Amino acid sequence: MESESPVETKKSKSKTPKKAKESILKQKSPAEFFAENKNIAGFDNPGKCLYTTVREFVENALDSAESISELPVIEITIEEIVKSKFNSMIGLVDRERIDEALYDDYETAKAREKRLAKEARAQEIQAKNAALGKKLKEHSVSKGAKNRGEASFYRVTCKDNGRGMPHDDIPNMFGRVLSGTKYGLKQTRGKFGLGAKMALIWSKMSTGLPIDILSSMRAQNYISFCRLDIDIHRNIPHIHLHEKRDNKDKWHGAEIQVVIEGNWTTYRSKILHYMRQMAVITPYAQFLFKFVSDTPDKNVTIKFARRTDVMPPVPVETKHHPSSVDILLIKRLIAETSKQNLLQFLQHEFVNIGKPLAERLIGEMGPEFSPKMVVKSLTDQQIVRIHQLFRQAKFDDPSGDCLSPAGEYNLRLGIIKELHPDMVATYSGSAQVFEGHPFIVEAGVSVGGKDVKQGLNIFRFANRIPLLFEQGGDVVTRTALKRISWNNYKINQTQDKIGVFVSIVSTKIPFKGTGKEYIGDDISEIASAVKSAIQQCCIQLKSKIVRRMQAREQQERKRNLSKYIPDATNAIYDVLQEMAKSHASKKKRYEEGDTDIIRKVSDRLITKETLNEKLTQHVEKVDYEMALEYATQTGVREEPREDIYLQSLDGKGNFSDFHSPIFVFRLFL
Amino acid sequence: MADKKKRRRADSDSDSESASQPFKNLLKSDDQILQILKSLASSFSSSSTSKPLTLADLALSTTCREVSDLSLSSVQSAIESLVLQLTRQILSGQGFSFTVPSRSSTNQLYVPELDRIVLKDKSTVRPFSHISSVRKTTITTKILSLVHQLCLKNIHVTKRDLFYTDVKLFQDQIQSDAVLDDVSCMLGCTRSSLNVIAAEKGVVVGRLIFSDNGDMIDCTKMGMGGKAIPPNIDRVGDMQSDALFILLVEKDAAYIRLAEDRFYNRFPCIIVTAKGQPDVATRLFLRKMKTELKLPVLALVDSDPYGLKILSVYGCGSKNMSYDSANLTTPDIKWLGIRPSDLDKYKIPEQCRLPMTEQDIKTGKDLLEEDFVKKNPGWVEELNLMVKTKQKAEIQALSSFGFQYLSEVYLPLKLQQQDWL
Repeated sequence: MESESPVETKKSKSKTPKKAKESILKQKSPAEFFAENKNIAGFDNPGKCLYTTVREFVENALDSAESISELPVIEITIEEIVKSKFNSMIGLVDRERIDEALYDDYETAKAREKRLAKEARAQEIQAKNAALGKKLKEHSVSKGAKNRGEASFYRVTCKDNGRGMPHDDIPNMFGRVLSGTKYGLKQTRGKFGLGAKMALIWSKMSTGLPIDILSSMRAQNYISFCRLDIDIHRNIPHIHLHEKRDNKDKWHGAEIQVVIEGNWTTYRSKILHYMRQMAVITPYAQFLFKFVSDTPDKNVTIKFARRTDVMPPVPVETKHHPSSVDILLIKRLIAETSKQNLLQFLQHEFVNIGKPLAERLIGEMGPEFSPKMVVKSLTDQQIVRIHQLFRQAKFDDPSGDCLSPAGEYNLRLGIIKELHPDMVATYSGSAQVFEGHPFIVEAGVSVGGKDVKQGLNIFRFANRIPLLFEQGGDVVTRTALKRISWNNYKINQTQDKIGVFVSIVSTKIPFKGTGKEYIGDDISEIASAVKSAIQQCCIQLKSKIVRRMQAREQQERKRNLSKYIPDATNAIYDVLQEMAKSHASKKKRYEEGDTDIIRKVSDRLITKETLNEKLTQHVEKVDYEMALEYATQTGVREEPREDIYLQSLDGKGNFSDFHSPIFVFRLFL
Repeated sequence: MADKKKRRRADSDSDSESASQPFKNLLKSDDQILQILKSLASSFSSSSTSKPLTLADLALSTTCREVSDLSLSSVQSAIESLVLQLTRQILSGQGFSFTVPSRSSTNQLYVPELDRIVLKDKSTVRPFSHISSVRKTTITTKILSLVHQLCLKNIHVTKRDLFYTDVKLFQDQIQSDAVLDDVSCMLGCTRSSLNVIAAEKGVVVGRLIFSDNGDMIDCTKMGMGGKAIPPNIDRVGDMQSDALFILLVEKDAAYIRLAEDRFYNRFPCIIVTAKGQPDVATRLFLRKMKTELKLPVLALVDSDPYGLKILSVYGCGSKNMSYDSANLTTPDIKWLGIRPSDLDKYKIPEQCRLPMTEQDIKTGKDLLEEDFVKKNPGWVEELNLMVKTKQKAEIQALSSFGFQYLSEVYLPLKLQQQDWL
């Protein structure tokens, strides 16, 4: 709402003088701007649009449920709509092609000749190969180019149990770009505050169909239904239907449904990865993901079950740190502040400036500044001076209290839940600061597990959402690949199935690239925090791995020793035989004590088998003794490991929680 | 004659060249340089007539282990008595084990009087029935039996041959090679006595005539590549030379340059390289040349820690084979170049110098702690300079003044100024 008024005033100003010259300077609404630059919000191509739509819906749903401290239950459904069905949806009649040559995929006579010749050649080669008895390779029949007009359409539905929206606000929350609620200094999931609005613009661009919203708030006896689309040029909602319906089940939350063009085939794995990683970082949520199409074998249904009911606290809004503000922001804060004079302004609009420090700062600014001066009367030059001083002066680091990290406990649970690793270690760093913004790095390292490929599997999270694209330049990827010597921790970088999970939360994530898909490697504070967090996990793992290697050594000792017996005795026996030969032919003389053995070898009283047998007996004896020693040293610590999961209780009772980094103990009174 | 002509031509148009080849005008005539070299050679041969010290001559407080050349039959006997001993151990139900002299760095001792590293007498027991040593023990028995065969048949094989007799057991050649050294240590003989040789690696060219297995070889007539150094030194004999010094070159590239320019004809010398880390054959050959011909040895290595390390291996021996350092080392090698101080002295341009990596600097600092560096104050100074400037340069850096700068200006000037440490 706020954003519109300046736009309109500008419009009137800029239009008049230009008109005289008859050049057309178009004024763009924010919605238009995003429609034209949809790639910056992650809507590059149909496939990515589908992916981004899903993630915006899921992230909104999580935010909504967390804001009312409700354990999230989210259902997301993607329904494939074939072209004929889509046409009937919008009331378009399917038409047969009449003028074949008009279409892009029409095969000209020349092209057909070429194709037939090629196919004939291929057949010839195949026949030859068959004649020669070579193994036949499945010859792929060259398909005609995919029809350009053949777009795929999908209905994406997302249902949550969150806060819901007030009935009257719904049109503006969806139908107006940049009228979002996410504008303060706060750790947030969203990137631009665009959320579902971008999906709506995309649906408008690709299908022209409106969006359906069902919503109800807690203790509200009706459900709001709203069907709307967006007037992109004027950046206002265009409401088709807005009504109240019965709420028999006392449901609260929101259900959003949109029909867009997309591409499931190419982005299937990305979407599934996203869901899986989301399940890792939010183990307290329950996700139901469904893909429905006309061909049943393509259908997918995955349920990501809840494994804990401990939710991280809702991040709190915080004031700006003086080292992090720019001139524009200072001006905005001045415009918005309720404080009268400069001293109060400094003291109340920023963190880490107390009264004594504010006074010292004002003294340092120069003679034209005084504590009592009216803050709104500051000139542009004076604001620049304040900004310069903020840059140079030393302030205490902001605290990490305003952040809401996933929590070591949740991260650990998430990893165990989704990957089932053989072992896992987690670490939560303390809050650190980069350019006045606090950040916390948490890491987990797992070894083994199901559906994990060999080598490093890197899972990146920023403000508790997974990052999937542009992995190469990311600080986490680079750190894990280049700056961790896995060998030192007895982890084999190429052979072991290693999972590296790094979650960074901050009031400002320093994203790189247009799509905000990765965090650059150039910030040394973050890079070193990531490195040390991963190392801490590795240190924990190392002792476990060493212990496991010892246990394995115990089990395999006998086999490993025995397997060398033949080699050793063969070598010894070869020499003995040669000696026996030279002794027999009197080539060489041996001393009295030695001839005894040599003669026994000649008489086959000592054979290879004798040596084998004796050595085997010895190995068995040694193995027994060592096993005994190991057992007495370690005690009976060989605990059987089993997954346990306690079903969550109907927790209406009176209880208190005891928190520790790796578990929470809940005592019911 | 050809050289003289070349020299004159070079002198006549030196105006343009001296700009691109700095310090060329400092060069005196070849005859004057030759005089310097001759006096060096004669002073050297007169001073080195005294018999070299041996370990036995010194009354050291720690006992040290040294090996000697053994005849085939004594090697055979040594193996046989060892095998009998093993057999008795096995038959008594005790398993079996070897007592192997330790070749770890803690068991090494630098003896300043000898100017080489020797092995102390610490040994480790290598039992069969232990998970950490079972592999090595098995490999040791296998190598013993293979060497025994060689003794019976009286033939030589290469280390590679040995490895290929049981690839499955040895896994890679590094393992069988290491155990081979253990075996020669254990039996108290040189590796050559085991009849196992390494493939040819070193080459020699220049004013040297020697017999290889009865054939007379003239190293001035071996073409550009020179003569490969025979893997077993006992084949080599009858060394003759009119050279004034031996030039030891680290790298193949510099060697080829000098060989093609026939540097040894301008200043009579013998040029040797092992193309990097020296193998046993090259070290034995160098030692033989030096002791029989009584020539000074000058070394041309890269200006980096590894250059100096290679120099030290020729001079004082490697830790890996310190048990045989008496036969393998060539004492009193002079460090001619390229030394860290040469980088500025010869104005080697910045773009030809390389920054030292963390690892390089660490190696350099470690070298400063080594006794064989410490004994030579000049080396310590140079190495300190290298670690301080954090710059290294290869011999090839001189090519920035023209490919032949090395043979036409740098080396002659170095020799003229007797600039070696």
